Amino acid sequence: MQVRNTTARWGSVAQFLHWLIVALIITQVILALSAEQLHGMAKLAMLARHKSVGITILMLALVRLAWRLINPTPPLPLTLKPYERFLANFTHAALYVLIFALPITGWIMSSARGFPVSWFSLFQLPDLVTKNRPLYEAMQETHEALAWTLGAVALLHLLGALKHHFVLKDTVLRRMLPFSKIP
Amino acid sequence: MIRRFGLLRPLAALAMLLTAGAVAAGGAAAPSYALDPGKSTLAFAFVQAGGHNQGRFPKFAVNFSFADDNLAASHLEVTVDIAALDSGDKERDDTLREADLFNVAKFPQARFTAAQITKTAAGAYEASGSLVIRGVTRALRVPFTLKSATEQGKPVLYMTGKTLIKRLDFGVGQGDWKSTEWVDNEVMVTFNLRLIAAG
Repeated sequence: MQVRNTTARWGSVAQFLHWLIVALIITQVILALSAEQLHGMAKLAMLARHKSVGITILMLALVRLAWRLINPTPPLPLTLKPYERFLANFTHAALYVLIFALPITGWIMSSARGFPVSWFSLFQLPDLVTKNRPLYEAMQETHEALAWTLGAVALLHLLGALKHHFVLKDTVLRRMLPFSKIP
Repeated sequence: MIRRFGLLRPLAALAMLLTAGAVAAGGAAAPSYALDPGKSTLAFAFVQAGGHNQGRFPKFAVNFSFADDNLAASHLEVTVDIAALDSGDKERDDTLREADLFNVAKFPQARFTAAQITKTAAGAYEASGSLVIRGVTRALRVPFTLKSATEQGKPVLYMTGKTLIKRLDFGVGQGDWKSTEWVDNEVMVTFNLRLIAAG
């Protein structure tokens, strides 16, 4: 498999970034939900990991966007109906926006609460805003709403991929899978 | 009554003479200073999950008497109301007051008492004594500087300094909190005090 994308399929870098971000987003959901059940030190630890993973996703999102811009994008099949094409483009754009918006709102939320964000205790990130309780509360709600939105859009993305594979019987799903043969 | 005063007067005079003699032998008496709480801060810096945080103790008392030429008669005692702590976050303050951390229900105060004050350089001193937090006493040396001024006709001293303490030396952190993975052991305590000559 090629490193770079071709017009027929995603290259290894694009695939790696896609699936790594999927895994990290699932990790984020688990960390966030378990933090809500905990208190004291255990909660502190869970939230610290959640923030570090979130910053990791933000950095990977930057790399991913840059990689997409300097690589060919495998086009959607020409046989798609206009609404399917719109839905596919909308879903992809929304996913890109969300993998930036979720970490950034989380980061603002931490800064506004007065808890500086650190990346795995290796280095401390600058505060994006000064301490501001109402902003913290607004960001907490926004972060949570965006998380639910990501869940809904990711489900749509998954259903779309499955429709391509099982109903439309094209290569759209397979071209993002590392070990699949594309004729 | 008059007769009793008559008897006491020479005794009182003798006592005063003896006191004056003692003071003369040890140098000048050390005048006491009162804390100006509005212009004084006692702060602490700590690291939580890799992030640097600042907190402060808004309520504390200082018992300070000082004479540069009579450090032996000088005295410093700081008593901190731990329950009034402000870490910058109410939820965190509540956690810090709990039994596993400061346990303020049982140990509402921390106290530093200097046994000795020594001069280290011009305007620089070191107070060595003991610090009690959470009922645990540890020896501590606190370097500080003094700047004197006269404000509204009164002698004023500005005392600043900082000292690094380890929270676990005092048992601030029981159970899960004994771990230093998420909350560092080292806490930097800084102080900026305005002290006004009493009387």
